[in-house]
Amino acid sequence: MTTAQPTATGVRVVARDLSRRFGDHLALDRLCLEIEPGETFGLLGANGAGKTTFIRLVTGVLLPSSGSVHVDGLSPAKDPRGVQQKLGYVTETSRLYPELRVRGFLRFAGGARGLKGDALDAAVARILLRFDLESVCDRLVGNLSKGFQQRVSLAQAFLHDPPLLIVDEPTGGLDPLQQDEVRSILGDLRGERTVILCTHDLGEARRLTSRVAILAGGRLRRMGPTEEVLGEREPLELFAPLAATGTPE
Amino acid sequence: MTRFLALLRKEIAALFLSPIAYGVLTMVALVTALVFFEHLRLYNQILFVFASTTMGGFDTDTIPDHINLRDTVFNPVMDQLSMLLIIPLPLVTMRVFAEERSRGTEEVLLSSGLSTSQIVGAKLTVTFGFVVLMMAVAFVYPVTAIAQGGLGAQHLAAVFLGLTALALGIASIGLAASAFTGSQIVAAAAAVGIAFFFYDFGWTHAFVGEDLAAFLDAIALRPHFRRFAEGLVFISDLTYFLGLMAVAFVLCRFALDFRRVGG
Repeated sequence: MTTAQPTATGVRVVARDLSRRFGDHLALDRLCLEIEPGETFGLLGANGAGKTTFIRLVTGVLLPSSGSVHVDGLSPAKDPRGVQQKLGYVTETSRLYPELRVRGFLRFAGGARGLKGDALDAAVARILLRFDLESVCDRLVGNLSKGFQQRVSLAQAFLHDPPLLIVDEPTGGLDPLQQDEVRSILGDLRGERTVILCTHDLGEARRLTSRVAILAGGRLRRMGPTEEVLGEREPLELFAPLAATGTPE
Repeated sequence: MTRFLALLRKEIAALFLSPIAYGVLTMVALVTALVFFEHLRLYNQILFVFASTTMGGFDTDTIPDHINLRDTVFNPVMDQLSMLLIIPLPLVTMRVFAEERSRGTEEVLLSSGLSTSQIVGAKLTVTFGFVVLMMAVAFVYPVTAIAQGGLGAQHLAAVFLGLTALALGIASIGLAASAFTGSQIVAAAAAVGIAFFFYDFGWTHAFVGEDLAAFLDAIALRPHFRRFAEGLVFISDLTYFLGLMAVAFVLCRFALDFRRVGG
């Protein structure tokens, strides 16, 4: 793996009373948090806690029911294109185009972010090198192992050198060796740019993040430095949904 | 424009790397050939019956005027093809949006900086381009034979335009169906059902009033194609099919935008 070269300083992400409702189900309930530029921030919680919903609101894929979220001062609800230009998004499980070759897929991902000509060629070459994908660049994405597919998924998020990287459950479904590989890629990013790491793996959060927020039942259960939040008591109890009257600690 | 072109290239690659595209092209070429040669065979039999003399020879003067390549072969083939298009076209359109949704790549597209108009525009452009190619393939046999039969280039062009417009109309229905579901089977079944329902309301004329019959004809697919088949190009018919394509664009955009609000 090539050593990561710092290229960006990151952006601030601010959520204020952010809520999202799907019919009767309140997936995210008045979430307030701030993520500092250059910070690797962990978003923890059990399945259905609201992590992915928060990420979709930040990326502009979903609109909030109420409240607001801003990325570097821009609202994804009002200016999704502006926000998306500042972020790279690695979705939960590798959501790729299996019928495309790795290089073709990366060229598409770069083109979709507005890269063209020499800039696109250079970005694809740089990313292939950085993520050790040169050996598989002419293979079909669908024929790659899960570990390589996850690497391709990570690589596409870096093509336009975004100051914000959002990674949703990056090691789900991978074997221990592949998990370690992905974690080491993410570990190289610390301080380089703002990273929001969405996970329910406590070890992963301890290893990679400096601060975490724990969501339960769509509400913020606890937020603070990783060691403080995950180290002071049995962390599993933090994952249980709050009572109806519960408030963030 | 760079983003749009990137997606356009990806869509072309995805379409032609899928076996469905080649399967459908082959199926259309085969079905067209089978339908065409079956009518040609019948035409030859009819000719034989009318032209045979009791002395065992042939006399072309005994063939009635209405027995000709255009009326006995070309027009029935085009009429049958227009109906047969309802089956293969949904096979092409079913995957366009539904596949993105079912495998989760729709989220990748929506978060990549592409606007919903660019996403829908690129997908519709590639699909419509493929449909035109499909019609060109379907047209090879009839054109080859009919060009010999003296139908005329203008009539041929009108029929090709009509058949292509009809195919684009059916594809528009298929694309809209694909945008509202994550299941390709549901998208294909819905497209076949809707296209079949709107194909022709001629059978209702015996039961409904004149005004309603005129309205039903105005919204049905076949009456707008029929005039092209006769070699007549009406702006109103072209507008109808262009309108279907525009409605498909709006519905597909709505489906993507609605998911931002509805989830």
